[in-house]
Amino acid sequence: MTETTQRPRTAESAAGVVTEFFDRYRAHDVHGMTDLCSINADFSYVPVEIWGKQRVLRGDGKVSTVGKPLWTGLIASFPNLSNTVHSITSNDDGDVVVQADIEGTQQLAWGLITPAGRHYREPHLFIFHVGPDLLIDSITAYWNDAGISQQLGHTEVD
Amino acid sequence: MTTPVTTSTPTQTVQAFLDAVARHDIDSAIALVDPRVAVTIHPFGLYEGGADVLRTVLADLVRAFPDLVISVSRVIATGEVVTALFKAEGTQAADYAGAINQEKHLDIDQAWRFVTRGGLITEVAAYWCQAQLYRRLAVKRYDEIAIA
Repeated sequence: MTETTQRPRTAESAAGVVTEFFDRYRAHDVHGMTDLCSINADFSYVPVEIWGKQRVLRGDGKVSTVGKPLWTGLIASFPNLSNTVHSITSNDDGDVVVQADIEGTQQLAWGLITPAGRHYREPHLFIFHVGPDLLIDSITAYWNDAGISQQLGHTEVD
Repeated sequence: MTTPVTTSTPTQTVQAFLDAVARHDIDSAIALVDPRVAVTIHPFGLYEGGADVLRTVLADLVRAFPDLVISVSRVIATGEVVTALFKAEGTQAADYAGAINQEKHLDIDQAWRFVTRGGLITEVAAYWCQAQLYRRLAVKRYDEIAIA
């Protein structure tokens, strides 16, 4: 799952890892994306919450158990899923902040949204942390899920 | 009365801004903002410039949620960019973002990305999920936001 490297962690090398992450995401290389993460990397997609009668499922957990299935499902539902990175800033502590648009055309159901062949493009903010071993050990993302729903023709909040 | 605050680092500028918002002191917050600040509030589809735009965004929030509490969890400095992660909590007391007041409690995680120059905020981009916001305010449909 992990790749080893001898490069020191700097702001530039940390940003390089995250740039590669988005390149692999654009190529739908989910295994490659997780290869850039540590085995126990934390994962939080803040807008993801599904309210059931007795509990709320959230997009929080680990890259291996929550992130990877979520990315795989997204790519299945949006076969042309892509990303456009607008900015990457980083520091020597391994923090990397990315502004990116995620977009795709729906072909399969996604959550409560039935497929209607519609396209969405939504701005996202990602906060990564890259460890001293140059592996991503934390991914957090924010976006407006209402924007995606409305672009896909789903007008109900839940 | 606006009280300018002298700050030296981007993090200090943003922290002072967040502290002022947490005190509901919009004048002090806007004193830290360049008059020509670029304002992007993604959930509102708002892409404009000017401190008055940001003032309106903040004032609307404080007016709708008079007991607003801002809890900052992280402030991340990456050069001139400072990203703040925080939770905004409060009880609705007035219409907000098209949603009528049903006195619901709001708790919403947000990320705001700031760019600073010379001790002033020159860019701000806010990210949160409007679905989460509407869910908490008991809005059922995006095409009927004002109908309970």
